[in-house]
Amino acid sequence: MAEKLSFHDEIARNNRNSIILVLVIFVFLILVGYAISWIYDPTMMWIFIGAATVISILHLLNSYFNGDKIVLMATGAKPADEAKYKFLHNTVEGLALAAGIPKPKVYIIPSQDINAFATGRDPQHSSVAVTEGLTKILNRQEMEGVIAHEMSHIGNYDIRFMMLATVMVGIVAMVGYMLTRSMLYGGHRDNDNKGGAILVLIGVLIAILAPIAVRFVQLAISRKREFLADASGAKLTRYPEGLAAALEKISKHNSRKMEIGDATASLFIANPNPSLLNKLTSTHPPIAERIRRLRAM
Amino acid sequence: MVSYLIWGIVIAVFVIVAVFAYYFNRIVILGNRADNAWSQIDVQLKKRADLVPNLIETVKGYMKHEKGVFEAVTAARSSWMGAKTNAEKAKAGNELAGALKSILAVSENYPQLKANENFNILMEELSGIENKIAYARQFYNDSILGYNNTVTTFPGMFFAGLFGKKEKEFLEIAPAERENVKVQF
Repeated sequence: MAEKLSFHDEIARNNRNSIILVLVIFVFLILVGYAISWIYDPTMMWIFIGAATVISILHLLNSYFNGDKIVLMATGAKPADEAKYKFLHNTVEGLALAAGIPKPKVYIIPSQDINAFATGRDPQHSSVAVTEGLTKILNRQEMEGVIAHEMSHIGNYDIRFMMLATVMVGIVAMVGYMLTRSMLYGGHRDNDNKGGAILVLIGVLIAILAPIAVRFVQLAISRKREFLADASGAKLTRYPEGLAAALEKISKHNSRKMEIGDATASLFIANPNPSLLNKLTSTHPPIAERIRRLRAM
Repeated sequence: MVSYLIWGIVIAVFVIVAVFAYYFNRIVILGNRADNAWSQIDVQLKKRADLVPNLIETVKGYMKHEKGVFEAVTAARSSWMGAKTNAEKAKAGNELAGALKSILAVSENYPQLKANENFNILMEELSGIENKIAYARQFYNDSILGYNNTVTTFPGMFFAGLFGKKEKEFLEIAPAERENVKVQF
């Protein structure tokens, strides 16, 4: 059954994706620095590029080492009390044993929806967050199914790539926003500066294109990731029906919109913001399809 | 001409060394993973054994007439404490699990005991540990499978023979426990 115990291929793929992502963001920020220098003062090009490099490196380090904290904070997750959530802690510890990874830190998101996500840079520095609603509504098998799904994300380093994507791409959108703002409202010194207009154009383009690009990147990688995590999660519990039943409850129960930003939405086991647009370009495969595949195992 | 020959030999030696190193490391890493997986089971078994005195202390006052059950648990615990090899430990661990189950079964007859908060906390603890033991065993057997697959299939088989590495034993789960499918709810 467990022919492929290690998540070897997935880890290699995630490492490759993470490096590509980091390089793309890095090059992007340096190009922005170059563009700004070209408009303001071409003689200072190297200073701008240097500054952009330093900022990119700092941003990368921050994303790598603090990305999990940023994501947890953005979702309002709080550390889960050992005594109050004893059962949750036991479940997480048990499945960490089954996956052969250290026990992740456990967090609670104050929401009555049923949802969960995992984040961190590697299995040694990982966290699992579940909603308050999940601990109340799901039974043992269902909770094990969900936690096992998250353990797979941790074990195959999905968490690292998703965390970097979430946090690093955030800055791309921010840069686009800042460029537009500074030129539209701050740059009145030389209104007829052609460069200024170009900069605004670049800023607007980035602001519009970045989220779309992010969406497509997530689309391409995240659907497959969810199916994979469902499958390897079922391998951990040896009981696909647990996760299938949990997903069924999620699709019936989660009607309210969680207060979750789009950036972090793709981290969750089930899309926290279901809407018409999201259905078309969802980062998650349809729940019905996931349930069907689990039941066919 | 001669230089080509030398280069050919150098490359061939390099490839052979690299292949040897790869298989040696792979077999050692998989073996270590299996050993480490065993120690994870051991940790949980120990936690369970540590729970026993506490449990007996709590239960004793209520079940005055069930001496046989306590004795069985205590005996199973001390045989676990005395176990040296992995096989012995696994066997004693199964005994202890069975003995604890009989306490659980008997406790059904004592409503006051079931109302005791301390007892309930211990029971949650115990079932949590039982689950973790089951999962740790599963990971152990998965690790053994990975290791055995490497040392019994070609070409790993050949290198395992060279390095003197043998197949490892799977952990058999007691038939009584296998019946207990996870349907607590």
